[in-house]
This record gives sequence, structure tokens and C-alpha cells, in this order.
Amino acid sequence: MKKQYKITTMLLVTFVAIAFIVSSCSSNKSALVSNKSGAQLWGENCIRCHSIPSPSAYNDVDWETIGLHMQIRANLTKDEITKVVEFMQTAN
Amino acid sequence: MKHLIIFVSILSLSGLNNLIGQENMFSKTQFMIRGYGHAGFEYTSVNGKNQSSYVGSTFAPIFLFKHSDRLLFESELEFELENNQVNVGFEYADMSYILNNYMTIRMGKFLLPFGTFVERLHPAWINRLSNMPLGFGHDGIAPSSGIGVELRGGFAVGGSKLNYSVYTTNGPVLKDGSNEPEEAGMLLFENFEDNNNNKAIGGRIGYLPFSNSSVEIGFSVYSGKVGNTNDSLYGNTGANLMAGDFTFVKQVSPLYGIIDIKAQYNLSLVDKADYFELEPGETIPTQYTFENKSDAYFAQLSYRPTMAGSNIIKNFEIIGRYSVINTPEGSLWEQQASQISYGLNYWLSWRTVFKLSYQTTNSEGGHDSPGTTKTNAIFLHWALGF
Ligand code: HEC
Repeated sequence: MKKQYKITTMLLVTFVAIAFIVSSCSSNKSALVSNKSGAQLWGENCIRCHSIPSPSAYNDVDWETIGLHMQIRANLTKDEITKVVEFMQTAN
Repeated sequence: MKHLIIFVSILSLSGLNNLIGQENMFSKTQFMIRGYGHAGFEYTSVNGKNQSSYVGSTFAPIFLFKHSDRLLFESELEFELENNQVNVGFEYADMSYILNNYMTIRMGKFLLPFGTFVERLHPAWINRLSNMPLGFGHDGIAPSSGIGVELRGGFAVGGSKLNYSVYTTNGPVLKDGSNEPEEAGMLLFENFEDNNNNKAIGGRIGYLPFSNSSVEIGFSVYSGKVGNTNDSLYGNTGANLMAGDFTFVKQVSPLYGIIDIKAQYNLSLVDKADYFELEPGETIPTQYTFENKSDAYFAQLSYRPTMAGSNIIKNFEIIGRYSVINTPEGSLWEQQASQISYGLNYWLSWRTVFKLSYQTTNSEGGHDSPGTTKTNAIFLHWALGF
């Protein structure tokens, strides 16, 4: 069992290290993902866990708080959530 | 009295919401109370014995404080009626700080990203059925929350996306049977003050292979020592939990609607240890042991004809779920159970839903009801997020 902890720790540490490296090489950013509009990101992401909220469900200030909450809960990047929140604020 | 104080605090906080919150131009902190509630009617027949009851009135307020674009505090309380009592659950309370585009650090009591059910799907307005699949909740084998620190985030890799979470917590505690002999060998996940110096570590990796994010495959681990420090019998006992999850959600035009598939497999491996049982009429306990391995899984499929011409038909949804739990052979909580649920939902809004479901559960063993149990149930629930 001790071996298992070591393996788990190593797996996780390696993964975080890869995450660091990949995230710092911005050249790896794929145009396919990074060129998406706020509306598209909303349609694709906000439907994954619960029913999709319409932009008119909340006001501009509320969308900012919810955006931060969902960025963390759904592991979205700051870029993605900023686009979604901007879309919600123009479409509500 | 305690509950009264909490209620009053919530009421005064909601008053504060208006004072310092959204409308106040002097404060940059945005404060929100959101949450959900549900209530319903349940009819159950256990081995032919019928019972029916109005249930619920669960009220789960969620408090969100956005201090800046990077700093969020979130907390959820859950008021529930159970056995003629009001139970208050402290579901989570944590603060998160966005370190950069791909990374957030979180600290406090948080829902564990062990699979997807607990962290993403359990709230009544999200869960498409009225109860949890086998293996979750009371006597479940999957953890729900932990106290500790977590690093999480996501990023794009080519046309795919990856998300990750790594965390360390106080970890689960082994029930050694000294309080409840019939639960010896089970894990207790609510461990607010650590019972040993070993911190559990865990994490989840999620992979979204398609650029439209319709599919996600996740793998989670959570492991640590679970016995009390210096306990000669269980001091070195450890547990290793693993989960795999799958999500597919997409509007499929030829089918005129949204297909939603969610599944999770949980495996719990606890080191073998000796436990003691006092047989009736005996004075000296007998020692026994067993392979402490449990697993549980669920798979669910739902369909909502969102592209139907009629506004009424659009709001209907059908759902089916199958779930299974197996707990260790030779333990006093040995159980094999399987469950099938069928549901018909009607969505009044994106966060308000009427859920009607029919469920059959076949169970062999379990420390609450040994023997074979066949339970049929009908649930009618109304869930509302606010
Ligand atoms: C990974 C799953 C997941 C994804 C993806 C997701 N949400 Fe959520 N969302 C949740 C959960 C879980 C809750 C309930 C929070 C709770 O009860 O703790 C929630 C709650 C909400 C709420 C209620 C208010 C609040 O903040 O609790 C809103 C509004 C919301 N989500 C909007 C969105 C939007 C907009 C998106 C797209 C950017 C999105 N969600 C994507 C899981 C998700």
C-alpha cells in the first residue's frame, strides 16, 4: 500500500509539472479552442453539467460573480470565462 | 435554538446583500445568495410493505463573495428534515484564488472532485433523478468533501482540453468497529480534525477530446492512511480510492434534442486488517478479517427534445439510470445491490424541475437490512434553484 501512495504522489506531481509546462507554452494554444466566441463557449460549456442558463437569467454584475464561481467549478480558463461573461452581459 | 440563530443570520445576511451587495457603488465586493430547495412525495414498497410520505423541504443556501476578479469565497449550508429533526449540513466553505489563466488555488472545506457526481451533479436542480445513485451519500463508498488545499485548472492541448485538480486533505477515517461493530472496516469521510498525521492526497484529470467539449473522460484517485496515529492495530492501515467518469452532452439534430450521458465507476481498496465481533452469548470477541474492497457505479442517459416545435414537449425529459454497489464479502456490511430508475421530468425553467420517477432496487445483505430486499419506489419531486 505504501508503494501505492508513492505512485499516486508521483503521478500527481508529474501531472502538475506537465500542466505548468504546457500552460506556460502559449504556442501550444490551439486556434480551434482559443478562437471560439463567447456565444460558442457558452453553448458548448454551460450545458455540460446543468441545463443551459439564458443570458437574461441574471444582470451584468451577477454574471461576474457567477462567472468566477463557474470558472473554478468547471475548470475553465480565465480567457474562456471572460468571453462567456462578456457574451452574457451583451445578450441579457 | 441553534437553528434559529442560523436562520436569523441568513436573513440578516440577505438584508446585508442589498446594503453592501450589488447595488452599492462603494463596495467592490459582490455578494450573492444562491442555492436550491426541493420537496416531494415518495411511495415505497419494501418486500411488499408499503409506505408513503411527503418528504423534503430541503433548503440549501449558497453564499458567494466575489472580492475581486481573482478571489472568491463560497459556502453552502443544507437544512434537511430527517427522522422528525432538522439536520444542518455544512457542505462546503472555501476560498479560491485565481493564480493565472490555468491555475486556481483553493483552501477550506470543499467538494472533492472525485469523479463528477458529487462536485457537479448532486444538487437537486441538477440531478435528473430524485435520489443519488448507489454508492454515494450515507453509507456510500465515494467521498464527498474534504478539508485541505487544492490546485485546479484547465488548458487546451491541440484541439482538445485537459482539466486537472490535485489536493491534499485530512483524509478519510477507518471505522474500527469500537463504536459500531457492524460498520468495522468502513470509511468515514467527514474528518474535520485529522485522526493521524498523514495527509491524504488526491486528484482528478479530465480530458475533453473534442474541441466542442461534448465528451469528457475523467480519472480520479484519493489515498492516505486511515487509522488513528499510534494505533497498534490500524496505525498503518491505508486506503486507496479510484474513480473513472464519463460525460457526453450534446444537442443531436437528427434526434431533435439533447442527449446527456453521465457515468461514474468508484473503487475503494482498504488494507486488510483484523476486526472483532462479539457473538451473542459470548464474552470474548472473535477476530475476523476480509478483503476490504468495494465498488459502485452508475450510468445514466437522458433525452430532452429541445428542438421540438411545441413549447410544452420541449420541456419534457426522459431519463434512465442503472447503478450497482458491492461491499466486501465477509464484512458485517456486505451488500450487493442493483438499482434501475426511470424518470419523466418537466422543466419549468432552466433551474426548476418536476421529477417523476419509478425505481426498483434489489439488495442482498447490508447492515441495515440483512437478507434479500426488493424495494419499489415512486418519487415525485419539485426542485428549484434560485
Ligand atoms: C463542471 C460542471 C459545470 C459546468 C461546466 C458549468 N456549471 Fe454552472 N453550476 C455547476 C454546479 C455544480 C452548480 C451548483 C453550485 C452548487 O450548488 O454548489 C452550478 C451553478 C450555476 C449557477 C447558479 C448560481 C451559482 O453560481 O451557483 C449558474 C447561473 C451557472 N451555474 C451558470 C453556468 C454557466 C454560465 C456556465 C458556462 C460557463 C456553467 N454554469 C457551467 C456546475 C457547472
